[in-house]
Amino acid sequence: MKPILKRVYTWVDERVELKGLVDYMGKKYVPVHPHSVWYYFGGVSLFLFIIQVVTGILLLLYYKSGEELAFESINFIMSKVQFGWLIRSVHSWTANLFILSAMIHMFSVYFEKAYRKPREITWVTGMLMFFLLLGFGFSGYLLPWNELAFFATKVGTDIAGIVPVIGKPLMIFLRGGNEVTGATLSRFFGFHVAVLPGLFTVFLGIHLLLVQRQGMSEPLHIKEESERKSMPFFPNFILRDLTLWLLVLNLLAILAVFFPWDLGKKADPFASAPAGIKPEWYFLYMFQTLKYIPGKLWFLDGEVLGIALFGIAGFLWTIVPVWDQKSSRGEQNRLVNYLGLFAVMYIILFTIIGWLA
Amino acid sequence: MKQYILLVAAAMVIALIPNETAFAKDTCFDCHQTAGDKPSELFKHDIHSRRGVSCAGCHGGNTNAEEMEQAMDKKAGFIGVPKGDDISRACAACHSSPEKMKSFGSTIPTNQWEFLQSSVHARPSLKGKEHIVQCITCHNAHGIVPVKSPSSPVYPLNIVKTCTKCHADIALMRSYNPSLPVDQLEKYRTSIHGMRNAKGDTKTAECANCHGSHDIRSAKDVKSKVYASNLPGTCAVCHSNADYMKPYKIPIDQYEKYAKSVHGIALLQKHDLGAPACNSCHGNHGAMPPGVESISKVCGTCHVLNAELFSSSPHKKAYDERQLPECETCHGKHEIIAATNQLLGVNPEAVCSRCHSERQNVKGYQVAKTMRGLIDSLESEEQTVRKLVDEAEQKGMEISEAKFKLRDVRQARLQSRTMVHAFNEEKFRDVVDKGIKISGLIAEESKSAIHEYYFRRLGLVISTLIITILAMSLYLYVRRLERK
Repeated sequence: MKPILKRVYTWVDERVELKGLVDYMGKKYVPVHPHSVWYYFGGVSLFLFIIQVVTGILLLLYYKSGEELAFESINFIMSKVQFGWLIRSVHSWTANLFILSAMIHMFSVYFEKAYRKPREITWVTGMLMFFLLLGFGFSGYLLPWNELAFFATKVGTDIAGIVPVIGKPLMIFLRGGNEVTGATLSRFFGFHVAVLPGLFTVFLGIHLLLVQRQGMSEPLHIKEESERKSMPFFPNFILRDLTLWLLVLNLLAILAVFFPWDLGKKADPFASAPAGIKPEWYFLYMFQTLKYIPGKLWFLDGEVLGIALFGIAGFLWTIVPVWDQKSSRGEQNRLVNYLGLFAVMYIILFTIIGWLA
Repeated sequence: MKQYILLVAAAMVIALIPNETAFAKDTCFDCHQTAGDKPSELFKHDIHSRRGVSCAGCHGGNTNAEEMEQAMDKKAGFIGVPKGDDISRACAACHSSPEKMKSFGSTIPTNQWEFLQSSVHARPSLKGKEHIVQCITCHNAHGIVPVKSPSSPVYPLNIVKTCTKCHADIALMRSYNPSLPVDQLEKYRTSIHGMRNAKGDTKTAECANCHGSHDIRSAKDVKSKVYASNLPGTCAVCHSNADYMKPYKIPIDQYEKYAKSVHGIALLQKHDLGAPACNSCHGNHGAMPPGVESISKVCGTCHVLNAELFSSSPHKKAYDERQLPECETCHGKHEIIAATNQLLGVNPEAVCSRCHSERQNVKGYQVAKTMRGLIDSLESEEQTVRKLVDEAEQKGMEISEAKFKLRDVRQARLQSRTMVHAFNEEKFRDVVDKGIKISGLIAEESKSAIHEYYFRRLGLVISTLIITILAMSLYLYVRRLERK
C-alpha cells in the first residue's frame, strides 16, 4: 500500500476499527462449483439497483410531477438537458434488466435450494425486495404520463380493484380517487421515490448483511470435503463481479444509444384506450392468464379466482423454506424442482403468448 | 219529380256540348253540370274527361244510376270528396299503374307517386295526418290539362307562379321552415333565366328544371339536384348541351373547365362542400354572370384577404382604367387552377409577363422578378429544412420543437402567396424574411440533432471500448491472481 493510502487507512482504522472487517473479508471464501455462475446475478442485481438510484436522483433534478408537467418535463430532459436522453434511457432499460436479473437470481436460489436453513430470512427478504421491485416498475411506468402508461395503470389498478373486500378501497387508495388522474400520478411519484426506496433499502441492508454473515450457500449435491473448492471473496470474487458489472454497463450503453426509450404521446384521459394495450413484460403472464380464465367458474368470479391463485402461489413461493423441510435436512426434494420448473415454463410461455397476442 | 226534370235538363245540355267528353254516360256529370257547379264546368276541359275517365274515376259511385241516392251509394263505391293523402292515392290508382295508363293511351311516367313520397313535400303537413302537398296542389283538381299545355299550372311559363303560391307566402313557409327564403320569385325575375321566362322562353330554367318536379328534395339532402356537389351537374344538363344552348350563343364548356379547376376538384372529387359551385359566383335564383367590377367582390367573399390587398394595391387603378376583370385576368374563371409560384415572375408562363416586360411597365417587371426570386427561395428553404427534420426524426432524435416550427414556415409561405396580391415588394419581403428566419432556426436545431446522433454513436464506441478494455484487464488480472 502506498504511504498516502496507508496513512488514510490508518487514520480511519484508528477511529472505526477497520482491521476486524478487513481480516473478516480476507478470510471469506466463495464456493466454486459448476453452478457458481448463478452467484453473480445477486451482484448484478445490486449493481443495477445502484444505477437506478444514481440515474433516478439525476432525473429528479428535472422531473416535475403533475398532470400538466410530467410529460413536458421528461420531454425537456430528453431534448434539452445535456445527456438527459442517456440518463432517462439508462434508467428505463436498467429497470427492466433489474427485474430480469432479480428473477434469474430468485430462480437460481430456488433451484439450488439456497433458501434452506439457515438462510430462510435471506430468502424472505429477497422475495420482499422482488415484490417491491414490481411495485417500482408499476409506479415508475406512470411517471412520464404518456398514453400507454396511463391506460396500463388504469387496467392495473382495475385489476387491483377486483380483489374481494379490500379491492375497492385499495384501488381508490392507489388512484387517489375513483379514476386515474393527476392525484394518482402524485401518489405513484411518492411511492416510487420515497416509500419503495425506503423499504427496499431496509430489506437490502438485511439481505446483504445476512449474505456476508452466512456466506454463499453450497449446492446440496456437494457432500464430500474433497469436492469442495473455493475462491477468496476479496479480491477474486469481487473483481470477477466487477468485470461482469462492466459488461452489463456496456450492454446498457448499447441499449440506451441504439434503442432509446420512447416517450410516446401525452396521456389524454378523455381519449379512448389505444388498441392492444398491454402491461410491461413482467406482468404479462398474469395479465394473459386473467384473459383466459372464464368470467364465471362455478360460483366464483373468474378474475377473482385468478388473482387469488396468483396470490396463493406467490405466498407459497415466499414461504418455501417453511414447507420444504426436506432440503433443510439435506435431502433431495423433487417436488420443489418440478414446481419451480412448472413456474418457469408457465411464465415464459404466457409471456410469449401475451407478447404475440 | 224535380230531380227528374233536372236530369232531363242535364241530358239536354250534354247533347248540346261538343264532343269533348268522351265517356258514354255519366249521370254524375250530367246532374252536376245541370246544377251549374264549377267542378263540372272545369271537368269538361279536363284531360281525364277527354280520355274517358268519369267523375266516379276519382269519387267512386255508380255513373249509370238514374237516382242520386243510387249514384252516391257507398255500396256502389262512392267515396265523396277525397281528403288528405286519399286525394293523391286516388290519382295514383291510375298514374302508378302502367297497364291502366296504357289503356288510356298515355305514355307519361308512372313513378310520380313514388317520387312524391320521397320528396320534401311528402313531409307531414301542419295537421300531421297528410303530406304537405297533394297532386292537386300543383295540377289542380277538375281542370287538369297536359303539362305541355300553356294553360297548365306546371307549364314552364306558369310553374314559377304555381310554386310561389306557397313559397312566397311568408306565413305559410314560416310555419314549415322559417329559415327558407321567400324571395325566390323576386330574385328569379331579375335573373337571365327569369327575364327570358317572362318573355315567353319555355327553354330557360324554371323551378322544376333545377329542383325537379315530383322528386323535389331539400337542398341539404345529398340526393337533391341542388345539393352543393350535384349542382354543377344540374346546371350542366342545359349549359353543356350544345343543341339546347345553340340559340343563346354562349359557351358550353363551363362544366368541363370547372370540373378540372381547383374549385371543381375540391367539390366534385374531394367532396369539400365549402368549395364554390356555380351558384356561389352566379347566384342561384337570381343567376347572372358577375360583371367586371363585381368579380373581385364575388371572389372576395371567400378570398377575403386577397381581395382586400388587391383593392389597396397599385393594380386596382390600372385594372379599372383598362376595364379588366380583377381576379379573372390572372386566374381565369371556370378553369381556375391551383395557384403556383409559376404564376408570378417574368417567365413566359407567368401572368405578370403579359403586361410587364423589360421595355414596357419596367417597374412592375422588376418587382415581379424580385418577388418570384423571394418566394422561390422561401420554398427551397422550406424543402431543405423539411428534409433535415425528416432525417433527424428518422435517426430517432427528439425534434418535435423544430417540427412544430415547420408549420410557421409553411404559414409564412402561404402568407407570402396572399401578400402577392398587394404587389408591394417591401411587404412581401417582410413575410418571406420571417419564413426564412424560422427556417434558419429549424436548420440549426435539425443539424444539431443530427450531429448529436453521430456524437452519441461515437461516444458509445469510445466508452464501450474503454469499458471493454477495463473489463478484459480485470479478467486477466483475476486469472493471474488465481494462477499464483
